[in-house]
Amino acid sequence: MNATTGVLDETRAELSAAVRDARAAWSWTTTLWLLAFAAALIAPAVLPLSGRMPDLAQFVYLALAAVGLGYAVGLAGIPSLGQGAFLGIGAFSEALLRAKADWPLVPSFVAAVAITAGVGVLTGLATGRLRSAFVAVSTWILSWILLLLLTSFPGISGGAQGLVLPEATVLGHTLTPTDHYVIGITLVALAVLALAVIAPRAPGLGLAAARDQRRAATGLGVPVARSRLGVFTASAAIAGVAGALTVELLQVADASSYGPAMSFKLFVAVILGGARLPLGPIVGLLVISAFSNVAEQVGGLRGLPPGRLEEMLTGYGMLLVLGLGGAGLLPAARGWWRTRMPPRRVPRPSPPARELPRVESPEPLRAQGLTKSFGSLVALDHVDLELAPGRVHALIGPNGSGKTTALKALVGELVPDEGTVRVNRTELSGSARARVLQGVVGTQQATAVFPELTALQNALVGAGLRLKHDGPFRSVFRTPKARADERVAENTALGALQVVGVNDPDRPASELTAHEQRLLMIASALATEPRVVLLDEPAAGASATELDRLAGLLHELRDTGLALLVIEHNLRFVRRVADEVTVLEAGRRIASGTLAEVASDEAVKMAYLGRHNLS
Amino acid sequence: MRRLILVVGLCAALAGCGGHKDPSSTKTKTVTIAVNAPFSKTPYVGQTIADGAALAASKAAVDVNGVKYRFRIKRYDTGLSPSTAARNVRKAISDGAVAVVDEGTGVDASWQFARDADVPLAITYQGGEGLVDAAKRPNVFRIAPTDHGMAFRWAEYLIPKKLKIAVITDDSSYGQQGAKALHEAFSENMSSVATKLTVPADAPDLSPQVLRARRAGATALLVWAQPTTIASVLSAARSSGWKVPVYSSPTGEDPLVRQQLANHPDWVDGLTFASGRPTAEVGAGPFLSFQRDLENRYGVQLVGVKTPDGAQVVQPPDYAMYSYDFVNVLAAAIQRAGGTGDKKKILSALNQVTVAGANGDQRGFNENNHEGVVDDDVYFATFDGMTYRPVKDDPLSATLVPIEQRR
Repeated sequence: MNATTGVLDETRAELSAAVRDARAAWSWTTTLWLLAFAAALIAPAVLPLSGRMPDLAQFVYLALAAVGLGYAVGLAGIPSLGQGAFLGIGAFSEALLRAKADWPLVPSFVAAVAITAGVGVLTGLATGRLRSAFVAVSTWILSWILLLLLTSFPGISGGAQGLVLPEATVLGHTLTPTDHYVIGITLVALAVLALAVIAPRAPGLGLAAARDQRRAATGLGVPVARSRLGVFTASAAIAGVAGALTVELLQVADASSYGPAMSFKLFVAVILGGARLPLGPIVGLLVISAFSNVAEQVGGLRGLPPGRLEEMLTGYGMLLVLGLGGAGLLPAARGWWRTRMPPRRVPRPSPPARELPRVESPEPLRAQGLTKSFGSLVALDHVDLELAPGRVHALIGPNGSGKTTALKALVGELVPDEGTVRVNRTELSGSARARVLQGVVGTQQATAVFPELTALQNALVGAGLRLKHDGPFRSVFRTPKARADERVAENTALGALQVVGVNDPDRPASELTAHEQRLLMIASALATEPRVVLLDEPAAGASATELDRLAGLLHELRDTGLALLVIEHNLRFVRRVADEVTVLEAGRRIASGTLAEVASDEAVKMAYLGRHNLS
Repeated sequence: MRRLILVVGLCAALAGCGGHKDPSSTKTKTVTIAVNAPFSKTPYVGQTIADGAALAASKAAVDVNGVKYRFRIKRYDTGLSPSTAARNVRKAISDGAVAVVDEGTGVDASWQFARDADVPLAITYQGGEGLVDAAKRPNVFRIAPTDHGMAFRWAEYLIPKKLKIAVITDDSSYGQQGAKALHEAFSENMSSVATKLTVPADAPDLSPQVLRARRAGATALLVWAQPTTIASVLSAARSSGWKVPVYSSPTGEDPLVRQQLANHPDWVDGLTFASGRPTAEVGAGPFLSFQRDLENRYGVQLVGVKTPDGAQVVQPPDYAMYSYDFVNVLAAAIQRAGGTGDKKKILSALNQVTVAGANGDQRGFNENNHEGVVDDDVYFATFDGMTYRPVKDDPLSATLVPIEQRR
């Protein structure tokens, strides 16, 4: 009895917290969208649309496929030109199961979506490691393959007459075009809502980070390949849903409606409307439909066949988007609106001063015999390195001496040909994510923040590593555990920002100075709660004041028990921060020890220091 | 005071609601006929269907109980997509169309929407088997030669010539339907068939496929495909010096074939195609009159090529006459049904009326047969100097009067 009461109390408390969160996040735009959704739902009941319902319902399903593509293009930066193919796979799977195998609607629908998702997984696996241009080409080829397959086998596609489906009935009720419209509007709203919820949370931030700076995201432990595969599959599955429902609406599936032309249309809609905003694809599709109607009217006046001018107008639309900066119509409109009505930023309450948390279980990092060759070039030649907790270890050497290669081998970005890396007695192997989970994190040589994200969101990408309940489903449904995790992550991220001295967490990273961006990179790394931090030229481009600040930061970090490796050319800075120094030359370690020991080493003087003075 | 204003307003609103005119009291009523055709993909076919229907609509005179019916044509582009075609039919019905004149694409899906609204759907181009079935699809009619009829006429015409035929179809839906019909037609005499080839539609060069047909021992090519494929087959055969006779589906008369081969008019010479006859036993008079009317209204349809002596070539509106005929049959059915008030009556009346067609043939349907063109109406014509005339070695074609195609 007591246990039941406890669970009820807990549920009540969580629900109250969820309501409080929702209220806090509510704005007038939320109200506006809710009203728009309600208006769209009741439109068929109050407007004389009965004759237009099939068209409207079909448009809504197409919008669903476009929003699905927005997941891949906008969220993950995957330029898929295969959405028409996925739409077609959903459509023909549904049509074949219903028309040829006599399956009922619901099982055939589930199977069609599963088949499309399956093809999405296979395509995602095949294209996951390709560069953007090749992903576009590969998915474009997929669209062609589907079209050629369907046209080559009229037995599958139904030939000139298409594959005709029986009437769609669910529990004895025949689905009318109005039913399809309501289903479509609801699904579009859910897809948009899910995208809007996911984008600023852990899964979305990870994807955005990977989209803008893949290496940096990987270095912070973002499971890039898995996340991109997941979002690509989701995108395909949504297209499958849209395709299956479209053929149920039209009661016919035909090859000419899917494939390259449809893929291109959906892609253009997403780019035209704005891929980065959940509603962008819908706006793009509306614009294309408007082009289509205008082209039909103008064509009619000029005696041209309907549709002849559509492509031309769409082309002009794309030129317009490029002229507006390439982000799409909706972001351009939003930008214009914000210049007139700047959004009111609610200042965050000043955070209480935080003390740097001590590293819970400080461990030394030991690298032994690290060797890495690129063809005949030996970049690392049996290099040993030991990073002790609470010490700053500087790795110096002339350009091309192997410093960055060593760092990449330590963080798992490069697999060494020989040698081991251990933290305490545990040998580190596998991906960068596995190493970050072990507490070893590095920053990039070049400045690599995620420019589309705020400073806080940048740090949250790192903090997301330790979340246990951050899956897409938990994130979308905002479960109590997910919300609790988010609170912890936000605290960690804010703490990391405060430590490095980035004091405006809501400022876009792209608006920070170069030095602040490098501090932000450190904050993101600290948010992963590491034991060993490897910094590649953190002082690059810093002014004297900034160097002072950075040196102070490194000392503070060292005092928490972190093991720090600093690759640096600025020897004056090295002299200020380093407890130990290792010198590389042509991939070999030529000296290692305290500052004084290394400075007096003749080999180091000959190879690197020359006139410079280290001690 | 506020209550008074409210009551007055309410009365005004109610008066407004009840104040519309009874449509039956008007003297003229405009009726919409939808033309559902691939205007963007095959403009010639779409335009010719629309022109024929529009001409009939402009001339049709229906007067029922003092109400004059005027006909208006509304075009819908299928883009050769069955789903677009089906969607168009739904749209046409919601636009109040009293009938749909259809090229034939997507009828398997769209006929049910038309049936549910008691709207007749008339196919005036495609001849696919199963599209028309008076018992199962009571609202679907066709005035166009059937694939089945044409394929069997080809078999009947070619088999006695003792030719070894290479049957070439393209992978378009049109080509595949033709392949099916030809397979059935030649199944009793497969020894006449040297090989069967499916080629890619719109392929610019079909030399390898034509060479394969030649190596298979073919002494004739029978091509059922899109116009561009026919042009490519001719080009491949003639450019290699192969003087093989080439026979084709009705698409052989499409202006596109001659346009593509305009630089080699001799390559077109000898191309023989099957189609519905434009003239009948009564002679060329009715068709020429129809052609004159059409040209006066919409202009001469120039093919875009010239005869060897420099005359412009015009395209006879043979497929336009089918849509023209259907609209006339529809007008007669509306007259018989007593107007457009009861669409069921119009459907029923379509099985009872007959009109004189544009070529002098009688056009009409009955409850058991919704085919407006019989197999014997299929004729063969052969090109010579970019114009065509009926062949002389087929009894059903030899008696037909050639149509003048020079301007």
